[in-house]
Amino acid sequence: MPEQFHPGTGAQSDVEISLREVSKRYPASDADAVRPLSIDIARGEFLVLVGPSGCGKTTTLRMINRLVEPSGGEIWVDGKNTAHVDPDELRRHIGYVIQQVGLLPHLSIGENVGLVPKMLDWSKERIRQRVDELLDLVGLDPDTYRSRYPKQLSGGQQQRVGVARALAADPPVMLMDEPFGAIDPITRGHLQDEFLKLQARIRKTIVFVTHDIDEALRLGDRIAIFDEDARLAQLDTPLAILTSPADEFVRSFIGDGAAIRRLSLLRVGDLPAVPETSTGTGIEVDPGETVSAVLEKILAAGLDSAVVRGRGSLTVQDMLLATAARDESAVAS
Amino acid sequence: MTRALSLRDNATAPAPAEAAPRSSFVPPLVAGLLVAGVLVYIQVADLDAIEARSLAFGELLVRLGEHVRLVIVSTLVVVALGVPLGILLSRPAAGPLQPPVLAVANAGQAIPSIGILVLLALLYDVGFAMAVISLVVYALLPVLRNTMVGLRHVDRSIIDAARGMGMGSRRILFTVELPLAVPVMLAGIRVALILNVGVATLATYTDAGGLGDLIERGIVFYRMPILLSGCLLTIALALLVDWLAGVAETRLRPRGL
Ligand SMILES: Nc1ncnc2c1ncn2[C@@H]1O[C@H](COP(=O)(O)OP(=O)(O)O)[C@@H](O)[C@H]1O
Ligand SMILES: [Mg+2]
Repeated sequence: MPEQFHPGTGAQSDVEISLREVSKRYPASDADAVRPLSIDIARGEFLVLVGPSGCGKTTTLRMINRLVEPSGGEIWVDGKNTAHVDPDELRRHIGYVIQQVGLLPHLSIGENVGLVPKMLDWSKERIRQRVDELLDLVGLDPDTYRSRYPKQLSGGQQQRVGVARALAADPPVMLMDEPFGAIDPITRGHLQDEFLKLQARIRKTIVFVTHDIDEALRLGDRIAIFDEDARLAQLDTPLAILTSPADEFVRSFIGDGAAIRRLSLLRVGDLPAVPETSTGTGIEVDPGETVSAVLEKILAAGLDSAVVRGRGSLTVQDMLLATAARDESAVAS
Repeated sequence: MTRALSLRDNATAPAPAEAAPRSSFVPPLVAGLLVAGVLVYIQVADLDAIEARSLAFGELLVRLGEHVRLVIVSTLVVVALGVPLGILLSRPAAGPLQPPVLAVANAGQAIPSIGILVLLALLYDVGFAMAVISLVVYALLPVLRNTMVGLRHVDRSIIDAARGMGMGSRRILFTVELPLAVPVMLAGIRVALILNVGVATLATYTDAGGLGDLIERGIVFYRMPILLSGCLLTIALALLVDWLAGVAETRLRPRGL
């Protein structure tokens, strides 16, 4: 199986999902909803599809679990051509989360989460344990929520259950279609944070659809940006997209404040620090912390520099200049 | 109250109790009073021979039994026909069949039952079976239509999520669509039941008995006590059946809806 890979992530060899010249044209339409698209998604990668409404994100996502049949091209998941796998069998091993959540209202939370394991003929005891483990994982107390009904939960809680349900049979792949799109901004922020932490632990291969570029920048290892005509405008890491937008469409889609946004993506460990000078006047920070978080700490403490553990010290100026310098080098290149 | 709770984060709030709307006690009370009134009237009134024979307690029980049996059997047949037919017609493949079948069911309800009864009696025979057939023709529509409407109105995103986790269409029908359509289907069955209580009074014209016998005899012999008793007992039965159906409706509705 020929393995091409796009730059941007670390481990290159292990491809979980491979889209090969996949396209979709709906009947009675005279334009492709998805234009021939090739992307390889690595095991454990978090890929975000982002773009304006109608650019084919949902269609692309639903072709992966065959809720939509491609008009052309092939999709390989876990080394198998999905066209040759029974669709129901395929879907039981791919988590699917949608904006409307779609919990079965007449089943309890526990029964909803246990649906796929039940289809896979797990024993009652194993399902019960798995349900509790998952509710715990998504931050819902099993004893409190197991036997409630969906309508007794808030939107945010329902979507936690939606995520738990998708994870139930421990599928390697998760497809998520604007999962936090219908949730109020504050709860959405919490859910995004928690989901990132969760992903750091469970390392699923995730394809995540959103129309919100901020959400994409925050969550994705890589981001695929589509324009209104379903053209793939850029596929790259959040930092690379902010630093060097491929074209005018990407630039306008990112909107203003690219430099400021970069501060929350850059880690202080990535900046050139001055090897430890005198006695540390600044606060000590980890190399893994983001520039914006460190700036926040420095300013709050009324200082003007920080010591990056094991690296050296950085002043506010250093940080701002380093971020800006990347901008200039990007524009120059 | 539920609304107020859900405005806050209800993580610690107790699960709101299922507030099933309590069925009013008025209909069964009225039904009981009507029956009691009729029975008392029969005891105290000065009845002639015809009236006394028609209104003997045993005779009333027989008529009531016939009536109830007609209603039960025809409602069971209506459900046995209407629900599967409604399910079949709501499958995507059966799309083109929907309009003609609905037209036939509509026509069934448009034609007065008395017409069908007399026609069946003239062409075939009289008796219980003929009465059941005409009741079924008349009451099929609400069950058929509500089954289709109930299935059609199931939230598409729930079905989408179910498909997305690998449920086949048969499993989706039984674990998602039918349970969610149950309230609408039950409402249709309740309507059919009530229609049957009323229309079964016509079964007397095909010799199938029922409370209609009293009404008809009251008219033919011009005996107000018989006519009135027949009417009042039918009304009482209708009230009671509707009330029971309402109770069943709330009981059978899946929890969580
Ligand atoms: N089932 C369908 N039948 C016909 N056209 C569709 C269908 N689903 C989506 N489309 C069309 O395909 C295009 C892409 O839709 P979609 O994938 O839903 O975009 P997005 O998720 O990016 O908003 C749109 O123009 C939409 O109208
Ligand atoms: Mg979409």
